[in-house]
Amino acid sequence: MKDQLVLLRNYFLDSGLEVFLRADLTCSKREDLLKLLRRFRSAFDIISVKCTNHNIALVAARDRRVDLIFFDSARRNVWFDHSIANVSNATLELNTSTLFATSDHLTLTKLMKDVNTAQQHKVDTIISSGCTSPFLVKAPTQLSAIGMILGLSKGEALNSVSVVPSRIVGKNVERRSRNYIEEGVKVVTRKD
Amino acid sequence: MSRRYLLIKVCSTAAVTGEQFTQALTASILKYFGEVGLSRINPKLIRFDSDESKAIVAYAKDHAGEMQAALALICQIGDSEVSTLPLKASGTIKGLGKRS
Repeated sequence: MKDQLVLLRNYFLDSGLEVFLRADLTCSKREDLLKLLRRFRSAFDIISVKCTNHNIALVAARDRRVDLIFFDSARRNVWFDHSIANVSNATLELNTSTLFATSDHLTLTKLMKDVNTAQQHKVDTIISSGCTSPFLVKAPTQLSAIGMILGLSKGEALNSVSVVPSRIVGKNVERRSRNYIEEGVKVVTRKD
Repeated sequence: MSRRYLLIKVCSTAAVTGEQFTQALTASILKYFGEVGLSRINPKLIRFDSDESKAIVAYAKDHAGEMQAALALICQIGDSEVSTLPLKASGTIKGLGKRS
């Protein structure tokens, strides 16, 4: 799989586009999540976890290998509550595509609650289109405008589509470089 | 109340008319901001070019965020999937001229 990813990355690089690969992990057991993290962390720039239950959400939020956590807003059994926000090292991702999936107001309410909890615990948020079709792709200004509807301030909404995502990518690119040893330790010069 | 003008590219799987676009925009604002929001944003379709699928919409200057969000939340017109892309905002229609 690594060879295929390198090929894919080079294909876009040839067209002048820098590519960052992301893996969305979904599972229902803690052991499975840890196994997936061990397997995929080194191969991808961004690792996100879909929180299917409260236990997985807690493990994903605590684990420093996880960059993003997101919730299926159409499901009512799990949400970004205070116990998760309190221990969260990960960034909360809000997918606007869930607003199109259902027609009732409950999805919007749930997203607003998640934003409110994240603000209370100073957890970073990013807003993404979560698109499954080209027609659901949104411009960054549109995503930040949706963020403002959900309760983010103008500054937070703009950061959530610019500063926060680029910080996550920058941090992971540094982590994956050959000079990185561990947090706070890196090779400055190398004798060849 | 001062107005702003927004140039929008409308991408869709089937041809969309200006009337359909206005209805979709009004429905989106009503759904997410209600009647009060609609009267505050006060959107008005100025021009719709169905050949190039571009529209110019006027709205209240103080409610640019709501207008952008309402546009972003339009995903369907009739049976066709739709995506709207704001190209340029200006204080005058003439200001949009170069891209419209």
